[in-house]
Amino acid sequence: MVLLALLLIPLAAGSLLLAMRPAAATARGLALTSTLFTLAITLWLWYAWDGVAVTALSHDWVPAWGMRLVLGYNGIGLLMLVLTAVLFPFVIGTGYKQPVGDAALVNALLLYCQAALFGVFMAQNAILFYIFFELSLIPIFFLLLRWGGMHKRAITIRFFLYTLMGGLALLFSIAYATLQTPAPHSADFSALAALQLPLATQQWLFWTMFLAFAIKMPIFPFHSWQPETYTMAPTQGTMVLSAIMGKMGIYGIVVFLYPIVPLGTAYWQDFVIAISLFGALYAAVIAFRQENFKRLVAYSSMSHLGLMAAALFTWNAYGIGGGLYQTFAHGVLMVCLFYIVGLMELRVGSNNFADMGGLKTRMPRFALLFMLIVGNAISMPLTQSFPGEWLMFNGLWQLNHWMALAGVVLIILGAIYMLFAFQRVMLGPDREVAFGDADGEEHFMLVPLVAIIFLVGVFPNLVLKLVDAPVQLLLNSIPPLP
Amino acid sequence: MSALILISVLGVVMLYLGIFSRKQVLAPVAILGLLAAIALFATGWHIPHHLLGSMLEFDGFATSFSIGMLVITALIFLFGPDYYERKEWHVAEQYALMLFSLVGGLLLASYSNLLMLFLAYEVLSIPLYVLAGGKKRSLRSNEASLKYFILGSFATAFMLMGITLLYSLTGSFDLGKLAEHMAAPGASGMVLNFGLFFVVVGLAFKVGAVPFHFWKPDVYQGSPTLVTTFMATVVMMGGIAGFFRFIDSTGMPDSLARSMVLLTLATLLVGNVSALRQTNFKRLMAYSSVSHSGFLLLALLTDSGLHEGHGSAVGGTLFYYTFTYSLATTGLFILFTIAKRANAGAEHNGIFKGLWHANPWLALCLLAMLLSLAGIPLTAGFIAKYQVFLLAIGAGWLKVMGFGVLMALLGIYYYIMVAREAFLPAEGSGAFVVSRLNWVVITLCTIGVLAFGLWPGWLV
Repeated sequence: MVLLALLLIPLAAGSLLLAMRPAAATARGLALTSTLFTLAITLWLWYAWDGVAVTALSHDWVPAWGMRLVLGYNGIGLLMLVLTAVLFPFVIGTGYKQPVGDAALVNALLLYCQAALFGVFMAQNAILFYIFFELSLIPIFFLLLRWGGMHKRAITIRFFLYTLMGGLALLFSIAYATLQTPAPHSADFSALAALQLPLATQQWLFWTMFLAFAIKMPIFPFHSWQPETYTMAPTQGTMVLSAIMGKMGIYGIVVFLYPIVPLGTAYWQDFVIAISLFGALYAAVIAFRQENFKRLVAYSSMSHLGLMAAALFTWNAYGIGGGLYQTFAHGVLMVCLFYIVGLMELRVGSNNFADMGGLKTRMPRFALLFMLIVGNAISMPLTQSFPGEWLMFNGLWQLNHWMALAGVVLIILGAIYMLFAFQRVMLGPDREVAFGDADGEEHFMLVPLVAIIFLVGVFPNLVLKLVDAPVQLLLNSIPPLP
Repeated sequence: MSALILISVLGVVMLYLGIFSRKQVLAPVAILGLLAAIALFATGWHIPHHLLGSMLEFDGFATSFSIGMLVITALIFLFGPDYYERKEWHVAEQYALMLFSLVGGLLLASYSNLLMLFLAYEVLSIPLYVLAGGKKRSLRSNEASLKYFILGSFATAFMLMGITLLYSLTGSFDLGKLAEHMAAPGASGMVLNFGLFFVVVGLAFKVGAVPFHFWKPDVYQGSPTLVTTFMATVVMMGGIAGFFRFIDSTGMPDSLARSMVLLTLATLLVGNVSALRQTNFKRLMAYSSVSHSGFLLLALLTDSGLHEGHGSAVGGTLFYYTFTYSLATTGLFILFTIAKRANAGAEHNGIFKGLWHANPWLALCLLAMLLSLAGIPLTAGFIAKYQVFLLAIGAGWLKVMGFGVLMALLGIYYYIMVAREAFLPAEGSGAFVVSRLNWVVITLCTIGVLAFGLWPGWLV
C-alpha cells in the first residue's frame, strides 16, 4: 500500500497540475508538497528497514507472457528510492530560483518522471521494470525538447534514440530470458534469477542487457550523448538525468546482470572494468580541459560513474558495497554541482569560465558552501564521498593492483580539475561585479544539501546498512569462474 | 452467414437511400446495421461453424477478426457525417462500396477454400479501386485509382496463377486438402513452390509487403482521407487475416519460409527507412503501415506448425496487433483531417503545430496514439510488439528479431517527430474545429489504445 502511494502521489499531483494549470507559485508549492510527502514515506521505510526484502504487491497481469504486477524492494532498491525521494524536493526547489518556463507543465513532467523512477526501483518483474524504465524517459524528453538550450532538437533526439536503443535491446533480452523459464513463463526477477543459462548464451545476453545500462549511466564508449545533453538541458533536467536516471544503469546491473547472467558477467568482468576505468580516466582528462563549467561537471559525472561501474564489477563486498553507496553520494553531489552551475549562470549569464573568476570577495558565504561541496567532490574525509571512494578503491585493489592504481590516478585527476574549476570560478582579482551573495532561497537549497553531505559522511552506515544484506546475497551467488 | 448477408443487403440499402439524397440518414443506418452484424457475430462467438459446403469456416480467429473489422468500420462511419458534410460526391455510393469491401474482408478472415480466397480478395479490392478515385476532379485521386487498379490486377493474376498450380497438385481448392498434401512426406517440387509463392505474392500485395508496396504511398495520398483510413485499417486487417489462414494451412515449408524471411526483412527495412524522410503525413502513414506489415509478417513467419496450438497464438497476436493498430490509425487520420482543415488543405507533418495550445486534450490523444504506433509502454502498441518479440524469439528467429528491434527504433523516431509538432507554437492562423462526434471517436480510439495496453487480457 505504501509503495503504491509512492507511485500515486506524484502521479496524482502531476495530473492535478496539468488539469488545473495553476499559477507558477502554486504549481511549485504543490509539487514541492508532493515530493516532501514521498520523502517522508521513504524516510519512514528507511527507518523501518530491518534487512528483509519486502514484496508489497503481487498481482497477475498477463500471465501468458510472464507479465505480473509485483512491487517490492530490497536494500538496494530502497537505497534508490531514498535517493530519488531525497533529491526530488531539491530538483523542484531549483525551479524557484531558476525557472525554465510554464511552471505547471514543467513540474507536472518532473513529477511524472519521479513516479516512473519510483516504479523502476520498486518493480520486481522485468517487464514492469522495462515499462517504468521507458516511461521515465518521456517526461524528460519533452522537458529537453521544449526548454533545452542550443541545438536542443538534434541533441534531444540523439539522447532519446540512444537510450531507446538500449531499452529495446533490454526488452529483447527480457523476452528471451522469459521464454527460457519453465512454462508458464514468468518474468519475475525471482524466476529469471533461477535460470541457469549456458555460458555461450550468457556471453551475448550479457551485452544485450548491459547495453541499456551502459548507455544510461553512461560509460565509455556509449557516452557520446551525455556531455551535450547535460550541457543543453535545463538545470532541473540535468539534475534528474545525472543524479537519478544515471543510477538506473547501476541498479540495472545489480538486478539484471548478476542474477540472470552471472557467468556472462564473470566472463566479461575484466573487459568491462577496463573500459569503465579507461572511460573514467578519459572523461577526467577531458573535464580538465573544459572551458565550460557545466560541461566540466558533466564530464566529472561520467568520470565518477566510470569508477562506480568498475567497482561494481569487481564482484567483492568492498567494490559492490562501495559502488552502491556511491550512487547516493554521487546523486547528492550532482544536484549540488548543477545547482551551483545554474546559480552562476543566472548571475554571470553564461557557463564559461572566461566570464567568471574573482567572485569570492563579493560572495563569501556562497564561496564557503561551494568549497565544502568541492571538498565532497574530491572525497575529502568527513564528506560522504570519502567512505565510498575508499571502499571502491579497496575493491579494485583486491581484484588487481593495477586497476587500483588507475583508481588512485582518477582520484588525483578529480581533485585537480575540481579545484581548478573552483579557482577559475571564485578566485583571482576582484571583478567588482554588481550581483550579490547567495540569497535566502539559495541558502535554503544549499545548506540542507551540505548538511546531508556531512551527515552521511560522518555516519556512512546510514546508507551502508541498506546495502549490506543484499550485497552478501549477491556475493553468495557468485558462480565458479570459468 | 446472416451477418454476411446483412452487410451485403445493407450496402444495397445504402444505394437506395442515396436516391433520396438525404446524406444525414446514411451514417446512422449504416452504423445500426454494423452494430446488428456485430451482435450476430457475438452471439455465435464460441461456436465454430462451416458455411457453403465448408468454403467458409467461422472459428474463433475469423469471428474476432470479423468483429474487429466491423468495429473499426463503425468508427470510420462515425467520422463520415462530418467528413462528407462539405463534399458533393455520391456519398451513398461511398458508404455502399465500403460495406461491400468490408464483406470481402469478412470473407478473407474466414475462407477455407482457395476459390473463396480469390473471391474474397476481389470483393475486397474492386470497391477499393473505385473508392480510391472518389475525388473525381483531383488528379492525385485519379492517379491513385488507376495505379491501384493496375497493380492490384497484376497481384490478382499472380494469385490466381498460384491457386491454379496448387489445384493441379491436389485436385481440390480446399485448404484442408492442401494441408494434407503438405503434410505428406516428399511434398515439394517446383510446382508446389511456385504455387505457394504466387499466392503469397498476391497476399503480400494487399498488406503492402516490400517489394509489393509501391502502390501504398501514392494510393494513400491520393485517396480521400476517409477511404485512406478504411484502407489502412479494415483492408489491412482483412489482408493479414487472409494471409494467416493461408500460411497456417501450408505449415510453412522451408522454401516458403525462405521467401517469407526475405519479405519480412525487406518490408521492415524499406518501410521504416522510407518513413524517416516523409514530410507528407499521409505518405508517412503509408510507410508506417508498410513497416507494421513487416512486424506482422514477422509474427506470421513463426507460424511454422512446429507445435500444436502455436497457430492460435500467432492468430491472437495478429488480431491484437492489427486491431489496436487500426484504432490508433483511425484516430490519427481524423486528427489529420481536423488539422488539414485548419491549415487550408496542407498535408505536411507541420499542420499539427499549435494543437497543444488550441486543444490540449486532442494533443494528448495524438501523442498517445503515435506512441502506441511507436510501441512505447503502457500503450497497446507496446504489448503488440512485445507479443511479436515473444513469438519470434520463441520460434528461434533471433537475428531477424534483432533486426526488427533496430527498425522499431527508427519507427519511434518518426512518430516522435510528428508528436513533437503538436507541442510547438502555431504557425497558421486557422483554428482547429472539432465536431462533437469527431471528438468522441478520437477519444474512443485513444481510450481503446490505452485500455488495451493496460489490460491486454481483454483482447487475447
